[in-house]
Amino acid sequence: MAKVLEGPGMGLMKKWGIHVPHYAVVTSADELAKLGHANDWMKHTKLVAKAHEALGSRFKLGLVKVGLDLSAAIAATKEMIGRQVGSITVSQVIVSEMVAHKEEYYCAVKSTREGSEVLVANCGGIEVESNWDRVKRLCLEVGQQPTAEALEKLVKDAGFTGPLVKKMADFAAKMFTCFDNEDAQYLEVNPVVIRESDGELVALDAVTLLDGDAKFRHPDWNFQFAAEFGRAYSRDEMEVMAVDSKIKGSVKFIEIPGGDTAMLPAGGGASVYYSDAVVARGGKLANYAEYSGDPPDWAVEVLTEKVCSLPGIKNIIVGGAIANFTDVKKTFGGIINGFRKAKSDGKLKNVRIWVRRGGPREKEGLDAMRALKDEGFDINVFDRNTPLTDIVDKALHKQ
Amino acid sequence: MSILANKDTRVVIQGGQAGVNAARRMAEFCYLIKRPLNVEAFVYPPDAGKTNEVPYGSGLIAIPVYKTIAEATKNHPSINTSLVYIGADRAMKGGMEALDDPHIKVVSMITEGVPEKDAKLLGAHARKLGKVFNGPSSIGIISAGSCRLGVIGGAFDNLVLSKLYREGSFGVVTKSGGLSNEIIWICSQFADGITTAIGIGGDAYPGTDYVSYLEMFENDPQTKAVVIVGEMGGDLEERAAEWYGAKKRRIKLIGVVSGFCQESLPKGMKFGHAGAKEGMKGEGSARSKSDALKKAGALVPATFGALGPAIKETYQELLKSGQVKEPVEPTVLPKLPKSVEEAMKADEVMVAPLIRTTISDDRGDEPCYDGYPASELINKGYEIPHVIGLLWDKRLISKQEAEIIKRIMMLSADHGPCVSGAYATILAACAGIGLSQSVAAGLIMIGPRFGGAVTDAGRWFKYAVDNKMNVDEFLAYMKKHVGPVPGIGHRVKSLRNPDKRVKELVGYVKSLNMKTPCLDFALQVEQVTAAKKDNLILNVDGTMAAVLVDLGFPVDSLNGFFILSRTIGLIGHWVDQKRQDSRLIRLFDYLVNYAAPKRREVPPLK
Repeated sequence: MAKVLEGPGMGLMKKWGIHVPHYAVVTSADELAKLGHANDWMKHTKLVAKAHEALGSRFKLGLVKVGLDLSAAIAATKEMIGRQVGSITVSQVIVSEMVAHKEEYYCAVKSTREGSEVLVANCGGIEVESNWDRVKRLCLEVGQQPTAEALEKLVKDAGFTGPLVKKMADFAAKMFTCFDNEDAQYLEVNPVVIRESDGELVALDAVTLLDGDAKFRHPDWNFQFAAEFGRAYSRDEMEVMAVDSKIKGSVKFIEIPGGDTAMLPAGGGASVYYSDAVVARGGKLANYAEYSGDPPDWAVEVLTEKVCSLPGIKNIIVGGAIANFTDVKKTFGGIINGFRKAKSDGKLKNVRIWVRRGGPREKEGLDAMRALKDEGFDINVFDRNTPLTDIVDKALHKQ
Repeated sequence: MSILANKDTRVVIQGGQAGVNAARRMAEFCYLIKRPLNVEAFVYPPDAGKTNEVPYGSGLIAIPVYKTIAEATKNHPSINTSLVYIGADRAMKGGMEALDDPHIKVVSMITEGVPEKDAKLLGAHARKLGKVFNGPSSIGIISAGSCRLGVIGGAFDNLVLSKLYREGSFGVVTKSGGLSNEIIWICSQFADGITTAIGIGGDAYPGTDYVSYLEMFENDPQTKAVVIVGEMGGDLEERAAEWYGAKKRRIKLIGVVSGFCQESLPKGMKFGHAGAKEGMKGEGSARSKSDALKKAGALVPATFGALGPAIKETYQELLKSGQVKEPVEPTVLPKLPKSVEEAMKADEVMVAPLIRTTISDDRGDEPCYDGYPASELINKGYEIPHVIGLLWDKRLISKQEAEIIKRIMMLSADHGPCVSGAYATILAACAGIGLSQSVAAGLIMIGPRFGGAVTDAGRWFKYAVDNKMNVDEFLAYMKKHVGPVPGIGHRVKSLRNPDKRVKELVGYVKSLNMKTPCLDFALQVEQVTAAKKDNLILNVDGTMAAVLVDLGFPVDSLNGFFILSRTIGLIGHWVDQKRQDSRLIRLFDYLVNYAAPKRREVPPLK
């Protein structure tokens, strides 16, 4: 699931024939001023300026300004660019035309187990969120295209009447085509409005989630996916992502500020059980991490260095289930190198390390970990006979 | 009994190296349960027509590789299952090809990162055909005692520890690959082990979900209970709960779900498998899944750690009610043959080495010459002649000796294009032959008449000195037993036109404060021979030989000094010709004395 910002999201809709307001993504007020000279719509319509970043509640933060003329939009852009919100620095502003309208509607397409669902409501904006029962849906099997009749029926069921039935059905058809061809997982337009100037339905605001795994067949996806949790990635997170993109297997790392229990477990499944165990024991996670698929030892070493660099940590949980094909000795070799490096950099003071693992070459790997005791590490090593998450109990019990 | 995979399962593996690795793991399992290998064929177009070698016990089995599934099933009609190890961008095409083959009933996809739409299309296509599509991102399927598909179950030792050589009573379905092994292990320690364990993959929309497999387990009399390991995200666990609660089921259901930590994490922070994402309204949360399973009557331990005791409790009930009996463990299990390296490490085998070396070793992080690390030699100022000393004579020579060797090499590096060696190299270079072969052509010329007299000269001068011969005795001996004295005589140089290289070298060596018995003897020989004939002087080969014997180098290594130094020249000649883009050359007729019989008639064949 990969979130796409409004600019590229609107670009994809436009590509499939959905009307969107005029818009431009700018990185400076100067750029907007130059565009203002070249584009009539910027001069003749009221404008909206929004920070073009993966930020929630932009309205409250003052990062959405409406009803602007060009000079006010330039001023707003100047004010927004460079503003720091948490870990995100606003670097882009999207300026779009304000579309005069009266009625607001809702249309979405979402991925389901069987295929997809087309959702339509004859109310929009915040009204639809409080009246979810007014949303009508059309379920489609994967590979199945919605017929014009089915869409018209859906639109009628949602309460559309008269000439709007065909228009809204058309709009929904285009939404589906866009969804289907762009490997989307979620497309939502809220609101859909009738443009007073020509009576066309226009997508005013859009949420676009694409299937990142399908990127290989979309060479025109030249945009970056937005961070999914309302903040920018940190430098260490990006470094681990860069390693992850280069290797067989995977390494993952997400920082959680304020925690004191650092995680360095193996496996996408086990890692979450380890996190659960920490939370259940009243611990505070300092990060999420995971390595799997027999990654090279140097990649695990990089991940280990990042984990050891987390501030204020008291325990490191090097957990893992019984691996199928990840070489325990090799991957532990990477972890051990990372630990040694961290220690020689003066890190890991008063940090206790807890290890539990099984799998190919488990004995050699666990023995190597145990030997770290002789180098002055505070390390406790357990094998498959200790249940998976018991090391978390032991680590947090002692505190 | 088991589900999905059994003794009759015959497999085609689609893919390259990852597929071969899986086949190796599968062969280990087949060996453990004393059954023939269940992999019949590979489909991998780049290697079509070749075979993949799969170790089985101490032998190797050659498995054919085909271009298409149709070819594979035509040649191996017993194939009924396909494992897909193809890259994400081609996985759907490969999966469809397998599903469309009438022989194949089960397709399990191991590939990760398959687009969601592709996975759904594969799942829908399989359902339409009444087949099973498992995965993507599946670690595999294993039925204890009968069939392994993929790497699930891990290393051989783990197969034994987890008692996968015989059936138990527990079914296992997990999204996570690593946890499947963990649960199999727990079932073997807290209960009697598993019937079948299935990895359905961690994607949002796996081709086959818990419900389908629960239904199959319900119909498998051997399976008494099923453990499912779930994750937040999607509604698969809720659907499993719904199925379980819908009516009285024969099997017991035990379930755990991960993702409770999400409740105390910053909103929107998601991690784990692709499918691990909570819905916008809290549906798909670990809590809602756990609650649904509990409500349906499943046993839901509070934590993963409590899973073992929960499984034990279930097993004890099954024992008490007589539904299962304590299993009988086989007394002897096959042991996987160790590789020679492993056996040596464990001191279980002694191997007679094939070769013996006494000069160098590069098994560490850098080569050692006679025990000295190369980098340390460099850092302490040693040079090429010292390396020669170490590798040819196993000793660290002095600075003075190194200087003599350096001078010898510099004097012998090249002698123009006309001599046999250089001419051969140039001839080869002009014929477009590569560097190593052209240089080898030049080196082949080194022998008794060109450059190869150093060893022989050294041998005989040393013989004379060792036997305390005088010059007359020596010359008489040589005349009687050997022939012309090697190292004496020159085609162009003479007493009046001395070889400047010899003068230089002799002058330098004599200026040093070192004993040179061999060189002294050679010079005495020269005085006698040159007096008889003007060009019977000590030549450069003889001088080098005498000096090197005086330095203590073994006689058999002496030609090496000429070979090594002249190689510098030969490489130079090859590069020179190459740079000039020289054309093919041949002898001119006028350079040949045609002494063959004149043209004549061929008589009839008798």
